[in-house]
Amino acid sequence: MYAFEIERPTSLSDAVSALKAEGAQALGGGQTLIPSLKARLAMPEVLVSLSAIDEIKGICTDDEGRICIGGGTPHGRVAAELKDSYPALASLAARIGDPAVRNRGTIGGSLANNDPSACWPAAALASDAVIKTDRREIAADDFFAGLFETVLEEGEIVTEVRFPVPQAANYQKFAQPASRFALVGVFVAKYEAGVRVAVTGASESGVFRWTEAEEKLSSDFSAAALEGLSHAAEGMIGDLHGTPAYRAHLIGVLTKRAVAAAG
Amino acid sequence: MTLIGTGVRRKEDLRLLRGQGDYADDIHLPDATWAVFARAPYAHARLVSIDVSAAREMPGVVAVLTGADLQAAGIGAIPHVVGSSLTGADIALKNRDGSERARTDHPPLILDRSRFAGEPFAAVIADSVAAAKDAAELIEAEWEELPAVTSALAALEDGAPQLWDHVPGNLALEAEIGDEAATDAALAGAAHRVVFDSQINRVTGVHMEPRSSAAWVEEDGRVTVRCSGGTGVVQMRESIAQTLGLPVERVRIVAPGDVGGNFGTRNATYPEFVVIAHAARQTGRPVKHLVERSEAFSTDYQARDLHVRVELGMDEDGTFLALKAVNTSNIGAHTASYVPLNKGIQLMTGLYRVPVAHATARAVLTNTPPTIPYRSAGRPEAMYAIERLVDLAARECGFDPIELRRRNMIPREAFPYTNPFGITYDSGDHIAAMDRALELADHAGLPARREKARARGKRLGFGFANYIEGTGGIPRERAEVTVIPGERRVEVVLGTQDTGQGHRTAFAQLVADWLGLEVDEVTIRTGDTDVVLAGGGSHSGRSLRFGSIVMDEASRGVIARARAVFAALNGAEAGDVEFSDGYLRLADSNVVTHLFDLAGAAEASDDLPEDLRGPIAAVGDKVTAGLAFPYGAAVCELEIDPDTGAYEIVRYTSVDDVGRALNPMILHGQTHGGIAQGVGQALFEGYAFDEMGQNVTGSLMDYQLPRAGDFPMFTTDLSEVPATSHPMGFRPGGEGGTTPALATCTNAVADALAEYGVRHLEMPVTPLRIWQAIEESRG
Ligand SMILES: Cc1cc2nc3c(=O)[nH]c(=O)nc-3n(C[C@H](O)[C@H](O)[C@H](O)COP(=O)(O)OP(=O)(O)OC[C@H]3O[C@@H](n4cnc5c(N)ncnc54)[C@H](O)[C@@H]3O)c2cc1C
Repeated sequence: MYAFEIERPTSLSDAVSALKAEGAQALGGGQTLIPSLKARLAMPEVLVSLSAIDEIKGICTDDEGRICIGGGTPHGRVAAELKDSYPALASLAARIGDPAVRNRGTIGGSLANNDPSACWPAAALASDAVIKTDRREIAADDFFAGLFETVLEEGEIVTEVRFPVPQAANYQKFAQPASRFALVGVFVAKYEAGVRVAVTGASESGVFRWTEAEEKLSSDFSAAALEGLSHAAEGMIGDLHGTPAYRAHLIGVLTKRAVAAAG
Repeated sequence: MTLIGTGVRRKEDLRLLRGQGDYADDIHLPDATWAVFARAPYAHARLVSIDVSAAREMPGVVAVLTGADLQAAGIGAIPHVVGSSLTGADIALKNRDGSERARTDHPPLILDRSRFAGEPFAAVIADSVAAAKDAAELIEAEWEELPAVTSALAALEDGAPQLWDHVPGNLALEAEIGDEAATDAALAGAAHRVVFDSQINRVTGVHMEPRSSAAWVEEDGRVTVRCSGGTGVVQMRESIAQTLGLPVERVRIVAPGDVGGNFGTRNATYPEFVVIAHAARQTGRPVKHLVERSEAFSTDYQARDLHVRVELGMDEDGTFLALKAVNTSNIGAHTASYVPLNKGIQLMTGLYRVPVAHATARAVLTNTPPTIPYRSAGRPEAMYAIERLVDLAARECGFDPIELRRRNMIPREAFPYTNPFGITYDSGDHIAAMDRALELADHAGLPARREKARARGKRLGFGFANYIEGTGGIPRERAEVTVIPGERRVEVVLGTQDTGQGHRTAFAQLVADWLGLEVDEVTIRTGDTDVVLAGGGSHSGRSLRFGSIVMDEASRGVIARARAVFAALNGAEAGDVEFSDGYLRLADSNVVTHLFDLAGAAEASDDLPEDLRGPIAAVGDKVTAGLAFPYGAAVCELEIDPDTGAYEIVRYTSVDDVGRALNPMILHGQTHGGIAQGVGQALFEGYAFDEMGQNVTGSLMDYQLPRAGDFPMFTTDLSEVPATSHPMGFRPGGEGGTTPALATCTNAVADALAEYGVRHLEMPVTPLRIWQAIEESRG
């Protein structure tokens, strides 16, 4: 680690102003940022911890029936509190890392980080979620901008994520054997307006929607509807743990399994 | 009363569970400094120039050391124990022309050339780790990159990059054992011939506690190094003193009370130990060092990495006729150890009667971290080769794999049995161990389980393997047993070095049993050259094997002396004194004293003759020759999801013969850990490099370590056929879980995938490899 200052604001407005300082960076649960600081891969001058800001923590339901998760809410709370209202989200959160990671790591940090193997981006994209920040609302379709990239501006804080509740949904995660992040993860959500399928872990350009599968499933929500459909290997990630062909194949298998499990 | 054979709870655990462990870094040293190492960015490069002036100017920096500085201070190369064809209990390996194996100089900081990525070339000693890191970033080094080679087979090719001028072709040793002409003739006449060719993956130890050390100068001017290792403090002292150019009396080695994992990869001297010892002497301040996880991944000594090519000849009925093997060991950038190659090659025929055999053992230098012994050094590789080969032979020539084994195994009555390389196995009932493992694994119920798995869309694989080991280790051990009356305890000073195996409990059980005491009344003391005068540490299953012999000798000495003292105090003859259950008695009288009371009375008495004064204590010191032969059988059963290649281990069974189980609970625990480690190599772990020699598995995000949740509950059982090679019947324990596991897992995978026409999958057998194999078979 290089030396840095740390601020612990207790209100969103204080955090926003603290983040205006030169070299300032938000610190969520630190589950991604702290390891990169330890490896001296980042050199922020000031860390603005979001963990003491109550107004961006917690889970509620808004007037439109959407589930609203505060940007500073740790995965563990989602796992514990959404079992009944949005079980696929609860189950996704319950499979992130280990208890220590889930008790610290936050949904806002995960979305802002947009790791190509992270789970939350698939849930947000498949659920057509809205990401609310200190300055605007961004539709999930517009939020992700490639590997570790989002449309967030300098110092912009994810304050809340709003999830419309689907009729049926499921998240299938095939764990990368070492890190246990998603080697491929597929989130399927069925809404009145249609079915959305979001894929994480697989693509060189980050989380994406598999529109061919969405079309088939929107007219027939069954695994059988996907028979004969496969995803191309082109553009998929190739590394020690999976070739592009393997990842493309897993997208097909996991999508079918997600549909079957969603019921 | 007997404590031997009871599962006494480990004395160690409560303290460890409460976070009261005493690990290497758990020491506060006033005025301490910290060392950080600058490491070579290239796997193979010439160090053209180095400029540390900016680093020296940084605040908090106490010293910056380079290889040249060390050389100027008279510091030499680390004297790794490479052995020779003239020493040790293993089959002698020497080059065809009769010359000895190569030896390369391993300076603690490189002088002019890096031979693997991560080799240290400078050290910064500073008031804090952060200050040392800041300064280390300012060290300017100019490198001229050279082509690198990381695979042993590639390093043997014409035109391969050459590592050492005095080792042409990178071939550090090429030895042959067995009878080539007879083997070739038998193979030529064989009805069946089966060949197996495989690259056994490289793994690294991944100690939960990364390696750490501290050094300081004592008031009397000696330098003390506190570090963990399994060769024991005596050997570590010789090694570090020699590197520093000091007489051993000027160096003290202290091992911390606890170690977070060793498995062998702590058992060679690390460059950092020497550098901080020198730095402490030079600066006069204590120096501490702790490697970070990423440094550990790239610079710990590593393991395995052996290429095997084996061929088996059988007659029409499946009787083994001959075996031929070529083992090529990747020993890394320095000649740190030839032990794994040697240990494996001499057991290539496993537990089978093979009339003739021939084997070539090659050790090859490459641009990778040196490899040294790792849990069961060389034996898991050898058992993998023979047990895979037997399974392949069965499948390809139409035999049942179990019956083919049974037909060729060495029967109980054939012991002692000398294998075709000249190694004599002492004793055992290997077929019984196999049958017991099959029974516990419910081999009979296999067809039904296979069908059930298929109904769930899974493919079940059943993998069996036998194993034998030939363990040795440093042959001298010493015990000093002393009665301490004031504390009502007996202290045993021993030269072994517990690295998690529970010696403090198990060895106390032994001595308590012999002296008629409670386990808590016996304490084991190790790990300080100020008290441990000789002994060889803990490796190669040597601790109980050699420790029991010298503790027995010393305990007998204590009893003899106690008798003499008791007799003298009571005006009797020693011959009239009985000793039992901790009490001394005069025959036919009511005169009785407990050992502790006697020792107290002796201390207080002025009447004792000169030669009986002083503490009641005795020493056992012995060199024990030869090898020991633990053996057993294991079964891995797994289910594969053919759609994804994912697998689940559903059952794992292990039967291990340790001759006699001193503490069965501890042994089972060792077996559990051993299984995880062996299965880890087979199905999870694989250390890999890119073309430039940089590791691509440099963190736990990519190096796949198994986790508790990856395993079912294990079924472990003990077979206890007393070893004829040990006075108390003990065979070494602790490696048994690992030794057959490479074979059980890969046999299980091949069994599950047989219907797809898959012959073999290389380790680690990951879901990706399984899926690819299934895909290929589908065309
Ligand atoms: C062992 C381990 C296993 C893991 N396994 C998984 C897994 O299986 N699946 C998975 O999806 N993830 C996994 N993670 C990652 C985990 O989910 C992290 O919590 C997450 O990626 C980052 O969240 P954080 O709150 O810790 O953010 P931090 O690490 O604090 O920050 C990450 C980045 O986001 C920024 N940031 C943080 N909060 C906000 C905010 N509210 N608004 C704007 N920017 C913000 C920071 O400035 C930083 O750039 C794992 C992590 C670990 C250590």
